[in-house]
Amino acid sequence: MSGLRDVFVAFHSACKCPVSLWREDAAGIACLAHDGDVTPDVPPPGVRAATATEWKSRGGDARLVAPVEGVSGTWLVVGPHKGARAQLDAFIELLTPVVRQSMSATKELEQAARELAERYEEINLLYTINEILGRTVALDEAAQIILRELLDTVGARRGALLVHDIAGAQLVAVATAGIDDRELPPIPLDDPRSVAGRVFTSHQALIAGRDKPGSESEGPVRRGEMLAVPILWTAPGGGDQPPLGVVVLSDRKARTPFSAGDQKLVTAVATQIGTAIQNARLVRDSLLQERLQHEMALAHDLQMKMLPDPSIVAPIAEVGARVAPAEDVGGDFYNLFRLGPNRSGAMVGDVSSHGYRAALIMALAMSAATIHAPRTADPGEVLQLMFAALDEELERTEMYLSVFYGVVDRRAQTLRWANAGHPHAFIVDEDGEAERLPALDPPLGMGETFPRSKTRPWGSGKHLLLLFTDGISDARDRKDRRFGEEMVLELVRKHRKRAVDEIVDEVFGAVAKHVGRVPSRDDRTLLILRS
Amino acid sequence: MSFTIAKSGEVTLVEVEGQLIVGNRQELKQRVLDELDHGERHFLIDFARTGYIDSSGLGVLVSLSKKIRELGGELRLANLNDDLRTLFELTKLDTLFQIADTRERALESF
Repeated sequence: MSGLRDVFVAFHSACKCPVSLWREDAAGIACLAHDGDVTPDVPPPGVRAATATEWKSRGGDARLVAPVEGVSGTWLVVGPHKGARAQLDAFIELLTPVVRQSMSATKELEQAARELAERYEEINLLYTINEILGRTVALDEAAQIILRELLDTVGARRGALLVHDIAGAQLVAVATAGIDDRELPPIPLDDPRSVAGRVFTSHQALIAGRDKPGSESEGPVRRGEMLAVPILWTAPGGGDQPPLGVVVLSDRKARTPFSAGDQKLVTAVATQIGTAIQNARLVRDSLLQERLQHEMALAHDLQMKMLPDPSIVAPIAEVGARVAPAEDVGGDFYNLFRLGPNRSGAMVGDVSSHGYRAALIMALAMSAATIHAPRTADPGEVLQLMFAALDEELERTEMYLSVFYGVVDRRAQTLRWANAGHPHAFIVDEDGEAERLPALDPPLGMGETFPRSKTRPWGSGKHLLLLFTDGISDARDRKDRRFGEEMVLELVRKHRKRAVDEIVDEVFGAVAKHVGRVPSRDDRTLLILRS
Repeated sequence: MSFTIAKSGEVTLVEVEGQLIVGNRQELKQRVLDELDHGERHFLIDFARTGYIDSSGLGVLVSLSKKIRELGGELRLANLNDDLRTLFELTKLDTLFQIADTRERALESF
């Protein structure tokens, strides 16, 4: 009111008439502006009338108290002045428009200041939310704090942050304020009376009036008018995504309705919440993935430890063997058995498919082989006993197992072998001739089967038993060309005089060169035995 | 890679184009099982345009063969190229399936 004071001072100086402005409200009457240093007398209630009323001063000079038109509870006082009433009326007429305009400007200024304060409050809220979301991945806790801040800013007593439960086709509260969590049951999306449900389906914010009935399920959070806003988010690739949930606010402290500004603010906050929910989900999935990878790495180590060290058959036999799973764990395996002073057994198996289910079958097969091979002389019988142990699991998982098992007797100079569907089993002789040891039976798990055995001569120290899985022969380069069975045989022929583990290195090295950076799609296993 | 399903009398003809491998075996299985659900019982899978079958592809063929047999039906295979024929022989799977050289011969034998 300093501007008005200047006007009053100038008026007093020019017209030799004091002037003051008064306002009465619930707290009492107060002087808003006057022209001097000393606060003038308070106009008594009797003169604060609806029309201009004279008020005699102690000296007898007249004063006129006139209400300011258009500004209720406000009076302009002119005088004491020696002039006539008409003179005072003229002063009032002169001053009233100035006072009204000044007060209107002051009111607009106050309104602007209030709105600015509200914006500051909203900006503060957004900063607060950013801080909360930036320092936590515990969404439940963050959601609770954000909801409370939001309620304070908007001036509501009740609210809930509802998240979409896809499996249950419902909205579930992850944070509530003003009510007990247990009071708010899940809100079915197909409930036609649910405000939150409608907002979720339409992707549009909504202010449901007091007269609009709500659903029974969202009753605990609803008191009078309800503001509901969808929690939207945009995927990196864009596109229309279903909302992640809905924010609902109700029970407004001021009895004024929710405004478009409130809706805009809650929408902005809901978008941030949406991003936070997505981030929290990504972090959770990432942690889960990390844990899974760690566990798979442990499973890989465990699986590799199940494979026997080739030295267990030394000095009866010299063995080079390697398994390289396509994933962390796989379904290929080899096994070795020392069966007395002159006999050694070698087994290679390939479970159809790969990954952890194949790895489970592999582990069962390894266990069964380890139990039965030392107790049973005949390889076919060993495979039968393995099949009996695995049958149920193979049936259940719709997998099968191709497996070769051969027993070399270096004293008798024989190889007795059984082959259930394993395509890559050979003997390579001292001249480099390779003879296939064909499957005598289908793989285990492909129906009723009773694997048989066969015996052939063995050249002690001269022959190599060569076993590998199709992950080796089917290894593809970037032009999808196979490495091929013949290439394996050629490498083994070429290096047949060398130590068996060196031959294994040569083959794996050639396969690696062939495939380059093309990822392996099957497990690769190679075993070479000399006895 | 794709599968084509057609009818020849009472026989459901399935053509496999490209490869039958771990990545598409479930699709083949589901499509054949759908036909089984619709009452079809005689199936012929034609591999004339198939270059490669991996071990999981072989597994799905065995699984389908079992299911079809359980429901009183029959699964036959035709037109395996030399490599695939060798694969079936090397693994002794040729003893578990009825395999014909051509589609016509396979159809005649139903």
